[in-house]
Amino acid sequence: MKGESFCERTARERARVLLDQGTFRELLDPFARLESPHLPPQGIVPQSDDGVVVARGSIRSKEALVVSVEGGFQGGSIGEVGGAKIAGALEMALRDSARGRPVISVLVLDTAGIRLQEANLGILVLSEIHSAIVELREYVPVVGVIAGKIGCFGGMGIAAALCSLLIGTEIGRLGLNGPEVIEQEAGIAEFDATDRQLIWKIMGCRRRMEIGQIDLLVQDSDSALAETIAEYCEKTWLEPGARVPRTRQIESQLKKISDYPILQRIPEKLSPSARTSVNSRGLLWFQALTENSGVTPEAKSVLAADLQWGGESVRATVVVPNVVARFPRARDGQVGIEEGWEIARLVREAMTADEGKEKRALLAIVDAPGQAFGINEEILGLHQSLAAAVDAYATARRAGHPTVALIVGKAISGAFLAHGLQCGQILAINDEDIEVHVMSEASVARITRRSPEEITSLANLVRATARDIRSFASLGAVDQLVNCDDSHPIDAHCVATVRSKILQAICEIRLFPRDPKMRLDSPASQESRKMSLVVRKALEAEWG
Amino acid sequence: LETLNFSFPAGSQEVLRKVQVGIVASGNLEVLLEPAANAYSQVRIRTSASGFGETWKALLQVFFDRHDVAACFEINDCGASPPVVLLRLEQALEESL
Repeated sequence: MKGESFCERTARERARVLLDQGTFRELLDPFARLESPHLPPQGIVPQSDDGVVVARGSIRSKEALVVSVEGGFQGGSIGEVGGAKIAGALEMALRDSARGRPVISVLVLDTAGIRLQEANLGILVLSEIHSAIVELREYVPVVGVIAGKIGCFGGMGIAAALCSLLIGTEIGRLGLNGPEVIEQEAGIAEFDATDRQLIWKIMGCRRRMEIGQIDLLVQDSDSALAETIAEYCEKTWLEPGARVPRTRQIESQLKKISDYPILQRIPEKLSPSARTSVNSRGLLWFQALTENSGVTPEAKSVLAADLQWGGESVRATVVVPNVVARFPRARDGQVGIEEGWEIARLVREAMTADEGKEKRALLAIVDAPGQAFGINEEILGLHQSLAAAVDAYATARRAGHPTVALIVGKAISGAFLAHGLQCGQILAINDEDIEVHVMSEASVARITRRSPEEITSLANLVRATARDIRSFASLGAVDQLVNCDDSHPIDAHCVATVRSKILQAICEIRLFPRDPKMRLDSPASQESRKMSLVVRKALEAEWG
Repeated sequence: LETLNFSFPAGSQEVLRKVQVGIVASGNLEVLLEPAANAYSQVRIRTSASGFGETWKALLQVFFDRHDVAACFEINDCGASPPVVLLRLEQALEESL
């Protein structure tokens, strides 16, 4: 097979050629019949492996795992089953590696990100995948390969940025928001999704290589890719921590961002973001919980305050609208390029300060209408910025900082993955206006080619695609729904209730540390995330 | 999405192993082939293109006329044309022998 195109292959063949000859053993193969139960009710033909191939074998005689996503099926999108295969395999590799039986892990990425038809099941499993990569890469090399025509976007773009080594091919692309979604959200003046040259000039792996967002650009051939991966693993074997991961190079990235000349695609006065009034539940809750403890919201989009609640030190962080933000697409409270890195900086600052001491709690107040959709953000690597925040929260959680998310407004997509979903517990105000989703309705309609009416009726059929907080809680993702009779204006009684719930959560986490996959232990998950549990159990049985 | 079931009398040639070929991508299909469980070669089809039951029946008849096999087929189809379907079935059979 020497010299043949790797990118032309199917996901299964790609996994096979990366492993030592004759060692490929697929886990949960097509005959395990673990397909998506959520697609047929939506009129979509499922695939027997749900588009994810998990294989074990060896790389230069060392134990290896290859997880390969099939870009041809539903754009390589990650649904409940496929996602659980990825997360479960990484969790098994982590279990073995932590016990002194290292398993090199390779992710072959050809994926558009979360499967919109399985929406919130996808966002939950993505948080589990992120958590597993951050932990696993401390033991073994976790190699990402961007190898297909779809490229690597969305929550999987964040996963790529978390890998110890990221390899690209000429055909591959990498980013957070796909071109069509940016066009839908921000208009054609911001990004023309039909302009292929523009897309590859910004998101193509060659470009990502030039600006240091991937490590190696490798020729599209089986042997070139297999040898590159094997050599890297041999070199860094059992020393995976030798390099500083790119998601921890915070100061240099913040410098790059401040030096960057912003492209103004839309005249300032027409920009829909240039509003003057700030109506932010995140800001209101932050002010109520911190009793306005000396923060000036002007000219800042990430606010943080250190609080003393009883005997607990708590650092509360929130992303708020900022009408004078440098990046126009992040002025309405979105988590943009500056915000992701700034969250990471604030979390790591607390970690450094608390080294060798009682670890303060980290409270993520969540009200973000999504990540920033813009050309500047994609050029600078928004996926990396969000990955930095993911990495910071996951690392702080593992270091012993109790982490709690409080959803008070919108918790959407990449913004929620970066700021909230890595927390040990998630609390939410039980309120009609709270929204949890992976994408705006307009963009979902465009990408899935359905009418907004169809999407609304599907939400009744497949609860994971509903947007209200109670539906999200039914997935076992919310530890507590806090009832506040009248949450705006926020009254003192309500604030006291929320504060006591947060303290209770912190106390519980101090006794029993939690991570994202433990949400599967909740009673609600047993039914609503049944397949996530079935897949993990079956995978463990076949792992060997 | 339409589900179709067909069965044909099992032939004399038995398949040796389970095989999966193809992808559920536009104009393509996935075929899972297994040894027949009984005296019939059963075929289950799930297809995104509804209303082509007769076409499928005729196409499968061509395949089973050509190959005297005993095997079960599961097909997940995303609007593949008849020649593509026939090609995938042949490919699956070839790999199973």
